[in-house]
Amino acid sequence: MASRRASRHDADGGVRFSRTIFIMLIVISSALIMFDRPASRSDAFASFRAGFTDIASPLLELAAQPIRAVKGIGPYFRRQGDLARENAELRQQLIEARYWEDLAYRQRDRIEVYEAALNVQTAATEDRIGAWTVADPQGPFVQARLIGRGSESGIADGYPVINLYGLVGRVYETGRRSARVLLLTDLNSRIPVMVDRSNTRAILIGDNSEYPRLEYLGRDPDIEEGDRIVSSGDDGVLPRGLPIGRAVPTREGGWRIELYSDQAPIDFVWVWPYVRAEQPQAEPEPAADLAVSEAEGGNANAAELPADAPAPASEADETGEEPAAAAVEDAP
Amino acid sequence: MRKPGERNAPYWSALWCVFTVIAALLFQAAPTRLIEGITLMPTWPLMVIFLWAGLRPYFMPPIAVFAIGLTQDLLTGAPMGVWALSYLVSIAVFRFRGEDGMPRDLPPIVLRFAGTLVLAHAIAFAAGSFALGQPADWQPLIIEVIASILMFPMLAFLVLRRRRSRSSGFGG
Repeated sequence: MASRRASRHDADGGVRFSRTIFIMLIVISSALIMFDRPASRSDAFASFRAGFTDIASPLLELAAQPIRAVKGIGPYFRRQGDLARENAELRQQLIEARYWEDLAYRQRDRIEVYEAALNVQTAATEDRIGAWTVADPQGPFVQARLIGRGSESGIADGYPVINLYGLVGRVYETGRRSARVLLLTDLNSRIPVMVDRSNTRAILIGDNSEYPRLEYLGRDPDIEEGDRIVSSGDDGVLPRGLPIGRAVPTREGGWRIELYSDQAPIDFVWVWPYVRAEQPQAEPEPAADLAVSEAEGGNANAAELPADAPAPASEADETGEEPAAAAVEDAP
Repeated sequence: MRKPGERNAPYWSALWCVFTVIAALLFQAAPTRLIEGITLMPTWPLMVIFLWAGLRPYFMPPIAVFAIGLTQDLLTGAPMGVWALSYLVSIAVFRFRGEDGMPRDLPPIVLRFAGTLVLAHAIAFAAGSFALGQPADWQPLIIEVIASILMFPMLAFLVLRRRRSRSSGFGG
């Protein structure tokens, strides 16, 4: 009797490591692993996880404060010697930035005029929502960050998350006061991207390394080392043109991306509430003057061209895309 | 043989145990990479579980080990049950048994912890790979194991020193 009791309760004067409870918990753990698989996670599990992070986020935020307070100490002392050189570089960059700022304003004005003329319904890009990172787990299973803002602030699943330098990832588990951001480097991350210079399309696939890889580039892709990679907006989930990184060739002949967002630790980020542009239901009616000129026997542009001149190539012809698809994709 | 007083009113030890467990879990999830130079993160919760299971086994019943593992899963975004299962099994296999509990010398404790650590991470890798549907990234696991083995002797030394100075045990 004594020996049986010892085997069940571990003979440590009443210390219990109950075999029954142990086996029961093993079964529960196994069941949780079985049913909480990221690829087929049910809404109930997702809600439970989001609820838990909601409860834990104030505590995590509190724990992150001292870390955030001391994060600048090391670099501050080390950088003192480089200040003069850095200052000169920044002045030069400021001069260049002013040129780009002017250009951006001019382009914005032009786009507004075109949108007004064409009555285009563009994707709504509301004000960005700023958030601090409250948890940065360094685990083997998921590359994610927990931020201290949730659905109460207007955040929803799928919204892109950016930092000062570029795209960080996407929101994928939204609670009321917290949300988890799936980084571009995570195994489950898939982002449609394009080469900014040549519009070559690809899919950016995370593999838990610092440099996610480019796949589905096509047979003869127009891509070079150092090319700027941006989001293509093809899936409609992300806006087009978000800066992601620069192309880096691999020894195996493939391509990887050096992420812009990795230039600094991911601490403060912006969540971008982005609503996908609706595809027009019907073709727009032709303008009245165009209808008149067609009725008179041809369009004006064709009349001005020599008889043997080729018809002007549209942007869609150059890219080899269907006009309607190109129009939808070109919506910012 | 343990003194009867050790189990009668261990309130301060219990509080200290809860505090260390919460601190370990928070530190495991905290954004420590913001501080330049800190890129290695040991498995703090397992260290705390292992030490408390040796010092005060009645503070670490299976349900507590399970709860700590599950909390770590939820905080770090891992599939639920992965760390819960690995901590449960590894602690059950390698915990100190018998009347004397944890020995008073460092080498056997470190050796046993190394076994716990390797088993826990092996189970976590297998369970995580199953949950993800593809092999989990083994490099962070290896880094965690190395960082934990490097860090644990210091922590265990402090615990043993305190235990020697206060015969009642860790923090109690």
